Amino acid sequence: MRLPQQPQETIDRSRTVRFFFAGKTVEGFAGETLGSALFASGRRVFSRSFKYHRPRGLLCCSGNCPNCLMTVDGEPNVRVCVEPIREGAQVRAQNVLGSLDRDLLSVVDRFGGPFTPVGFYYRTMIRPRRLWPYYERGLRRVAGLGRLDRHAARSRRFDVEHRRTDVLVVGGGSAGVEAARAAAAEGRSTLLVDERRSLPDVGAGVEVLAPARALGVYEGGLVPVDAGGVLHRVRAGRIVVATGTLEQPLVFPGNDLVGVVLPELVRRMVDDWSLRPGERAVVVAADDAGVAVVEQLRRADVRVERVVDLRETIPRTLSAAGKGGRLRAVSIDGEEISCDLLVSSGGRQPAYSLLAQAGARIEHDAARGIFVPAELPPDVEAVGSVTGEVGRAAVPPASFADRASKSRSFVCVCEDVTEKDMRRAVAEGFDSIELAKRYTTVTMGPCQGRLCHLQAVRLYARETGAGEAAIGTTTARPPWAPVSLGLLAGRGHEPTKRTSLHHRHVELGATMTWAGPWRRPHSYGDPAAEAQHVHEAVGLIDVSTLGKLIVEGPDAAAFLELLYSNRFADLRTGRIRYAVLGTDGGRIMDDGTVGRLGEERFYVTTTSTGADTVIEWFEWWNAVWGMDVEIVNVTGALTAVNVAGPRSRELLGRLTDADVSNEGVSYLDAQEALVAGVPCLILRIGFVGELGYELHFASPYGEYLWDTLLARGADLDARPFGLEPQRILRLEKQHIIVGQDTDSESNVLEAGMSWIAKLDKEDFVGKWALEQVQERGFRERLVGFELANGVVPAEGGQIVVDGRPRGRVTSARRSSQLGRVIGMAWVPPELAEEGAVLEIKVDGSLEQARVRLEPFFDPAGERLRS
Amino acid sequence: MSDLSFLSPDAARRESGFEPRLASPLARALAGAQGVRDLSGLAKIEVRGELDALPQDADLIRITATRALIVCPSERGAALRRSLPGRVFDLTAALAGLELCGEQAMRRLTDLDLEALPAAGKVAEAPAFVFRAGDTFRIFFPQEYGHYVAEVVLDTLAGLA
Repeated sequence: MRLPQQPQETIDRSRTVRFFFAGKTVEGFAGETLGSALFASGRRVFSRSFKYHRPRGLLCCSGNCPNCLMTVDGEPNVRVCVEPIREGAQVRAQNVLGSLDRDLLSVVDRFGGPFTPVGFYYRTMIRPRRLWPYYERGLRRVAGLGRLDRHAARSRRFDVEHRRTDVLVVGGGSAGVEAARAAAAEGRSTLLVDERRSLPDVGAGVEVLAPARALGVYEGGLVPVDAGGVLHRVRAGRIVVATGTLEQPLVFPGNDLVGVVLPELVRRMVDDWSLRPGERAVVVAADDAGVAVVEQLRRADVRVERVVDLRETIPRTLSAAGKGGRLRAVSIDGEEISCDLLVSSGGRQPAYSLLAQAGARIEHDAARGIFVPAELPPDVEAVGSVTGEVGRAAVPPASFADRASKSRSFVCVCEDVTEKDMRRAVAEGFDSIELAKRYTTVTMGPCQGRLCHLQAVRLYARETGAGEAAIGTTTARPPWAPVSLGLLAGRGHEPTKRTSLHHRHVELGATMTWAGPWRRPHSYGDPAAEAQHVHEAVGLIDVSTLGKLIVEGPDAAAFLELLYSNRFADLRTGRIRYAVLGTDGGRIMDDGTVGRLGEERFYVTTTSTGADTVIEWFEWWNAVWGMDVEIVNVTGALTAVNVAGPRSRELLGRLTDADVSNEGVSYLDAQEALVAGVPCLILRIGFVGELGYELHFASPYGEYLWDTLLARGADLDARPFGLEPQRILRLEKQHIIVGQDTDSESNVLEAGMSWIAKLDKEDFVGKWALEQVQERGFRERLVGFELANGVVPAEGGQIVVDGRPRGRVTSARRSSQLGRVIGMAWVPPELAEEGAVLEIKVDGSLEQARVRLEPFFDPAGERLRS
Repeated sequence: MSDLSFLSPDAARRESGFEPRLASPLARALAGAQGVRDLSGLAKIEVRGELDALPQDADLIRITATRALIVCPSERGAALRRSLPGRVFDLTAALAGLELCGEQAMRRLTDLDLEALPAAGKVAEAPAFVFRAGDTFRIFFPQEYGHYVAEVVLDTLAGLA
């Protein structure tokens, strides 16, 4: 089965490796690939083609073509011709219904021709529309390459590594190695990337990444390199492209038969793996590299029936015929020659794709019939045969097909695009190669144009009468080599923020939930009871997630006056005001509080999820206005705990010598004091509607102060409460949540907070827009509502007026305190009247609700101020 | 005028039977890990304004022409804050810190140029300040990312083991 030992063979005949193909054991040797071992075991059909399900065999043995794509250990689309053999691997065919040798879907090849011309999917299966779901199901079954196990867990580890190097050399052929050595000799850090597993010694000073593939060239000299489990993001000062050339197939009828191969396949089979690629061969080649395989063929005892050197003679017609998809004979100018191997090559095309991505101009070299790179951008270099130095070669015709031929001549084996398809695309008016590419999908398959781009352009040039230079190339885009999505996705960690009390919440049995990037306690078990407890005793909630800023400097007050619609210049030191931040368009962006800590110092809080945006907004305006203001983000520096409920004063009083009476710390006061020995900023504000104190203090004391509050408040029945009970409590007060009760169109006037928009101020961000709103009149209003019968409408539920949707519910909860369902909604202005009746769609039926403009609970704010 | 002492962990007092205790969530997340050390206790001070007269004997990153971050042992923090010119903010509690060894691990955590440290950038997608001494890196980042950064760092080290 194997040839006698070949001089350069890479197989280790002393080490047998076993793996499984379709459940049966296959034996091979260490040092070869899964594909070569399968070939040695007698397998000739390796895949079924994308569209027609024609049998396909090994073609390039270079990892370029789609013919050997198989699923290995659950990973689809592995090119087994280059995938090293490994013990116990489970190898399966893909894209077949049945088996490789009997694929039921090959019916498309036999009968589907007239029904599946190029672009058929744009024209068929459109009517009747109701059948589309069935078409879609069927198409999804047969389309695509390989199957991913959607239920499989992440099976492989993928990492991303960032690298910097002076010089990156892509391609470890002789020119690449020489360039790498030269760069290293100049003392520059040099990285060499090559697809092969082992490289000859490249010398000191050159770091080698192999096997690895450069995926593309991006701005700033960024080259992502796929090294299997690691994606290297290489930033290179200089990029040397030594990607060599790609052997090009010829276009002729039957050119996809199993047994029609490229010269490189013969070299690898004979030289590396000591395999006999066939018994009787015909060679049709356009250059020395192609013709030279005659030597390997003879060495492998293959009878060479005919050698056609296209530089000497170009046959008028060439076709291949087969049986069961396998080559039986070749016909050259009508003369039939029996053979089972046709080595055909149309010469070599420089693999210029990375250069084109880097910005090189690609031009057509008419003498050699190929595209070559020209005008390289700075810091990009091409060396070796990629420059176009491919030796003397013939320019083969676009196709050898006789127009009368009934067999298909494939231009693109990945997507099963034939010469006829290309002609048809031209006839239908797709007269540019870019449009034809999209219409026929030529060059869009797994090989990404490696084996079809040149042929497609040549055919286009012939069919349109325009030259190749005028047709040009398609745009080269990354990825240049196939890459797994897992590698692009990386490790999949999600940047997550946790407060200093996170572990306490977990220990207390909290159900944690996402609030933007934060993890927060949803509740500690019973949200309704937790809310009720705040009304009756004292509760603690971790509000460390609030954005916190210090704004200070001589212009601090003027800065805030300009940013917010509310007034801050007249805010006394030690006092707080509610603040709504608006955009230039007057839309609500965020809300929070502004406290004055000194003549030139303010303490600003924002929503939990809006903190980063607000900080950027502040810094942006500060840069625009050039005011003397410093903005310091202290969000994470401070843990914040809201101690709320009628017993909160007593609890706080036990921990501080400061006067926390209503006179000592009044509603909307900001004061600094030691609490249990920890310096705190105490803000008396009442988002939840009860007497309450927000304690802001250095985060490393989070657990200490939380524990102390709970311990010293045990007899007062101090308990934690979560986000959900807070949502109930704030709704009882009709305190809005930005982003929940407002959206990107909401403004403070229509949201019922006209009092906060001081339109008599000289200027503030969004003032003009709010004036326009006032002038045009309100289109909707944000109001509270309560429901009589106790059902809770969905958030986002419709407000229906005269049978038409005219508004939406933004929040709705059942309040134990009030014994009814309450909510907030955007309604038409005429319904924004106390007591007006709303109709809300709940589960398909309309429920009546009554508008309430005042807070549902403690409308006069007596509890807050008590 | 407020002196912002509520920002400073070193301003807490033992009094009236209270004994404030510091805790580092990052230290908890790193518990038992090899090759990584919690540095959250170091003092971190941001200075804004004129940066000419900054101390030479402390670790320092110039964030902008008028902003710098100084890292020093916690016991030096209070005195340094008093002595520094310009507007001074104690960010000790804002930034967690960790120390790890190994350039390859850092290459997997950040796209910063490791030959051009100290610098500000992203580590494990979190905003960070990075110092280097030989093969040892010290990373300071918002403490709320502590648990997450620890997770990524330990996972990265596991991937290299």
